[in-house]
Amino acid sequence: MSGGRVRRLLLGAAAPVLALVAAILITSLVLLVAGDPVLDTWSTILSAPRERNVANIINNATVLYLSGLAVAVGFRMNLFNIGVDGQYRIAAFAAAVVAGEAWLPGYLNTVLAIVVAMAVGAAWAGIAGLLRATRGVSEVISTIMLNFISTSLVAFLLRKAAVRAPGSNSINTKEIPEGSRIPGIPFGGGVVEIYGFVVLAVLSGLAYWFVLNRTRFGFDLRATGQSTTAAVASGINVRRMIVIAMLISGAAAGLVGLPILFGDAYSYGSTFQSGLGFSGIAIALLGRNHPVGIGLGALLFAYLNEQSNPLQILVGVSPEIVAITQGVIVLTVVVSYEVVRRYRRRLEQQAVAAATDRPERPAPTEEVAT
Amino acid sequence: MASVETPSRSDAPPAVRLRGIGKRFPGVIANDDINIDVARGTIHAIVGENGAGKSTLMKILYGVQPPDSGTIEIDGAAVTLGSPADAIKAGVGMVFQHFMLADNLTVAENVVLGAERLHGIGAAAREEITRISGSYGLGVDPDRLVEDLGVGARQRVEILKVLYRGARIVILDEPTAVLVPQEVDELFDNLRELKAEGLSVIFISHKLDEVLSVADEITVVRRGTTVTTVDPAGVTARQLAELMVGSELPSPSTESSTVTDEVLLSVRDLTLPDPAGGRPLVDGVSFDIHRGEVLGIAGVEGNGQAELVETIMGMRDGATGTVELAGTDLSGRSTGQRREAGIGYIPEDRHRHGLLLDSSLWENRVLGHQTRRPSVSHGLVDRAAARADTQRIIEAYDVRTPGPEVPARALSGGNQQKLIVGREMSGDPVLLIAAHPTRGVDVGAQAAIWDHVKNARRNGLAVLLISADLDELIGLSDRIEVILRGGLVGRFDPSEVTPEDLGSAMTGAGSDAPREEGSP
Amino acid sequence: MAALLAAGVMSLGALSACGSSGGSDSSGSGSGDGLKVGMAYDVGGRGDQSFNDSAAAGLDKAKKDLGIETQESEAVDGEAESAREERLRTFADAGYNPVIAVGFAYSASVAKVAKEYPDIDFAIIDDEEAKGDNIANLVFAEEQGSFLVGAAAALKTKSNEVGFVGGVETPLIQKFEAGYVAGAKAVKPDITVDTTYLSQPPDFSGFGDPAKGKTAAQGMYDKGADVVYHAAGGSGGGVFEAAKSANKLAIGVDSDQYKTVDASLRSVILTSMLKNVDVAVYNYLKSASEGDIPTGVRRYDLKVGGVDYSTSGGQVDDIKSKLDDYKQQIIDGKITVPTKP
Repeated sequence: MSGGRVRRLLLGAAAPVLALVAAILITSLVLLVAGDPVLDTWSTILSAPRERNVANIINNATVLYLSGLAVAVGFRMNLFNIGVDGQYRIAAFAAAVVAGEAWLPGYLNTVLAIVVAMAVGAAWAGIAGLLRATRGVSEVISTIMLNFISTSLVAFLLRKAAVRAPGSNSINTKEIPEGSRIPGIPFGGGVVEIYGFVVLAVLSGLAYWFVLNRTRFGFDLRATGQSTTAAVASGINVRRMIVIAMLISGAAAGLVGLPILFGDAYSYGSTFQSGLGFSGIAIALLGRNHPVGIGLGALLFAYLNEQSNPLQILVGVSPEIVAITQGVIVLTVVVSYEVVRRYRRRLEQQAVAAATDRPERPAPTEEVAT
Repeated sequence: MASVETPSRSDAPPAVRLRGIGKRFPGVIANDDINIDVARGTIHAIVGENGAGKSTLMKILYGVQPPDSGTIEIDGAAVTLGSPADAIKAGVGMVFQHFMLADNLTVAENVVLGAERLHGIGAAAREEITRISGSYGLGVDPDRLVEDLGVGARQRVEILKVLYRGARIVILDEPTAVLVPQEVDELFDNLRELKAEGLSVIFISHKLDEVLSVADEITVVRRGTTVTTVDPAGVTARQLAELMVGSELPSPSTESSTVTDEVLLSVRDLTLPDPAGGRPLVDGVSFDIHRGEVLGIAGVEGNGQAELVETIMGMRDGATGTVELAGTDLSGRSTGQRREAGIGYIPEDRHRHGLLLDSSLWENRVLGHQTRRPSVSHGLVDRAAARADTQRIIEAYDVRTPGPEVPARALSGGNQQKLIVGREMSGDPVLLIAAHPTRGVDVGAQAAIWDHVKNARRNGLAVLLISADLDELIGLSDRIEVILRGGLVGRFDPSEVTPEDLGSAMTGAGSDAPREEGSP
Repeated sequence: MAALLAAGVMSLGALSACGSSGGSDSSGSGSGDGLKVGMAYDVGGRGDQSFNDSAAAGLDKAKKDLGIETQESEAVDGEAESAREERLRTFADAGYNPVIAVGFAYSASVAKVAKEYPDIDFAIIDDEEAKGDNIANLVFAEEQGSFLVGAAAALKTKSNEVGFVGGVETPLIQKFEAGYVAGAKAVKPDITVDTTYLSQPPDFSGFGDPAKGKTAAQGMYDKGADVVYHAAGGSGGGVFEAAKSANKLAIGVDSDQYKTVDASLRSVILTSMLKNVDVAVYNYLKSASEGDIPTGVRRYDLKVGGVDYSTSGGQVDDIKSKLDDYKQQIIDGKITVPTKP
């Protein structure tokens, strides 16, 4: 039996190792074709980051992790929330306005802003959920459209709400008062601090794990994701689940921009980081929707992002290489997990066949039954 | 029963000679030392229970999968069939159980599709189709749209497709599964025509009466290997079945009546409009089921059985009429509430409606019981209790699995079904809805499931049984209602009715509703 | 995947610029040879046919003439503020000095990182906000150049109606609008000037969307305008196409677009407002190599040739004397061009 456990562990490790090896090979090939120095590139990518870079990586990963979680909630129900990007931007904007106005003192103001961000994100995603549940509109289409709308809406509202320093070309919401900012965690004594919000990200991951794996609601959500038809037959109200899942995904998306807002930027403006929702899709895929996997995926992406500048400046490789590497990793991970999954399924069927007293064949899924 | 030594009717080499065919999949031996001779101009049946290896054998013969060992000879010449194209070239054609026709094309277009090189797509092709149709008595009109055709006619188009491609050896996989008795007879007439023209037919089935009536030779496959080849004249269906199973065989006979006069399920004027605007899918259905009674619903597939069940389960929108369970009106309640009220549901398609294939058995135990102990308490999934109760089901219902952690997909169809039955009986239901409960399960599991249905009846449940297997319906039911185009059109006493009577009623023959060709 | 990652992306920044000769004044120290220059581009980087390219041209010229060593790095769209900071720090750590940041998006990061590296000199283009002893702000009097092309438009219009298409409504682009309107009204006080912006911050897509530019310009031509000035970066190509199909005139921006557009579109280009980023970069580096690093705000205006109008194509030859007259009045301070509309 311990042999079986060892094998299971090996199998668990096989997919990511396989993926990374394949990704390194493919990226090397791309570098070779592009005429870039392959060894220098890898030695730069793999060189130990400085302390301030480690802090940057953790900060960036915090944000990406929240985005990955938001996407993963939808994925677990087979909902493709492509709209995390729009949801987090509109939510971060709303939070920035509320926090900037400082109607409440100190951390009450922070809490209010966080609640507002989650509510706004949830409402924005909920539109797509309602459309899907009542009108059958694909959430992929509606969330993409809502991304566009949120871009314009935020632009419009930002101009109304913005305070603009004379002559400045960037426009921003009112700065969050000092007492409402979330203090950073000093790291190594360098110039960069780790977002205090990292704690909330970890808590979000725990909540994600608990709700999905331990609660009835999580069971219903996963069941619906695996088979809508079986979920309906089992008595799950699938339409309600769609709306609720989108609301939760959107609420999680609402958190995405907050580490930046409360830990670094203190206002929402034209240079606020964008595109995080799309990275979240890749990271959720990379992490197989597992809270720890998403964390690893977020760290990997943040790490590669951080190496983008040294690659350009020290090696002279274009930043697209980093994007290509990220894309290749996602692709190889998806493929290698599928390969390992099939292998594992065969092993399971073997085990079942061995455990039964006659050679029964696994039930065919798509084969024509005799 | 007589074993036939060398089943050849002439000195010519057999049309198909299989020797020592073996095929392994990881963990299972699908085929092992298969030896079959199919003589020219005969109908050769291959029978065996589910999982015996018939499908794999046919896929090897049709070039879909290569064998690991053994030889295939066609008309005396050894061949290697690497793909269906090779098989067609060698004169082997296959008619699948699920038709592969484009509904919006005509018969001629469907036949020519993919074989444009043979006779073009114009008049020559049409002429060839008409010729084949005429010489084998298929009676197919090349200009009709396939969507207008009935099941039997579609099957004839499939056969025509195969013949058009020059097949001399035609494999039919479970061809009668989708047909009513009258259509089965027509099919057999067609097969006899083929035989008379010198073609060889390989006929796969587990309906032994049909096999006995049409086949010239019967090969029994068990556990991936050929047990014997027999002459149908020398065996009975029961003997054949015992050859298939390798042991004594159960039958679905009803025990003494347990019907009481207490109505448990009362359905009144249940109607489900067609969202597409056609005639209602379920049309004014009313019936009662009493405590301890099994009501069987017979009908040609697609006449509203599935919709009737799903309406009773509350899975369909827009239904009118009332459903009362043990005096409680369920109309307007959700599926979940109906389940809580005491409905156990064995769905028609266990993969789509009954299971989460990639989840463990114990998670599947939770499915449909998310609101109830022992699986769930206080909104949290009680994993330990769910596992323990799954273990109970595994033991009580003889689900063959290493344990409750195995994903449902890894189980064979019969064991999946036993798990579902065990699960649905675990919530203390007052009504059990069983839709095709033994479809696609092996004989052993079939007997077990019949026992469970009988047990349920004995324990005072009301049982609604939907089945396409008329023997099963007659054997298990206390009363049979026939459904046709969404409405109940006839009531039969199973102790008096024959499958032929039911078949007539199911197609509308002999009732006020005339049968029309093309109604599915 | 790469597509997904890239999706939702707009081109941030990217207004172009071109040639001038800056006044050089001084501080700091440097030794001509062995100067290692780091250049941090905005999104698009070298090859964007616009603002970044213009800066790159200045860098290339300096590299050739002054024998300096250069290294470049470009921004990724929508990147984190920390990524911009880290770009500057990586240059500084690797011994690059001075470090030039292209575009106002670097404003905050230059201000922050310059404090961390007091021994390194920084320059930022198009931004006056980042202040520090080791920061040079290279900015342009876009309103002055725009005044001249506004005057040219007013002198050429027959319908007494001209148009302005801005890329993104930022204070920077509003300077173009303000100068243009003032120039047009100086010639014809009763002239109608239609103005529009393709997008509003924080949406910077207006700098990279030719289809939007074309639609906006078409609307103006249909309404009666016969000259349209664009300050919309990459969207300007659409404006020229609209002019071509309406058989009307358009005015280019930043570089001499008569020389860079497709030959078939040349006929519609009346003139271009020149914003000579390359010259600013070159002069900055020249001073640096002479050991004379500029700091503080360096404004490149008409007087120093930081902005101008182009004459390629000869369409303004007949009004050149009038335009040069306005130019002189601005240089002499007789006309003060507004910077806000």
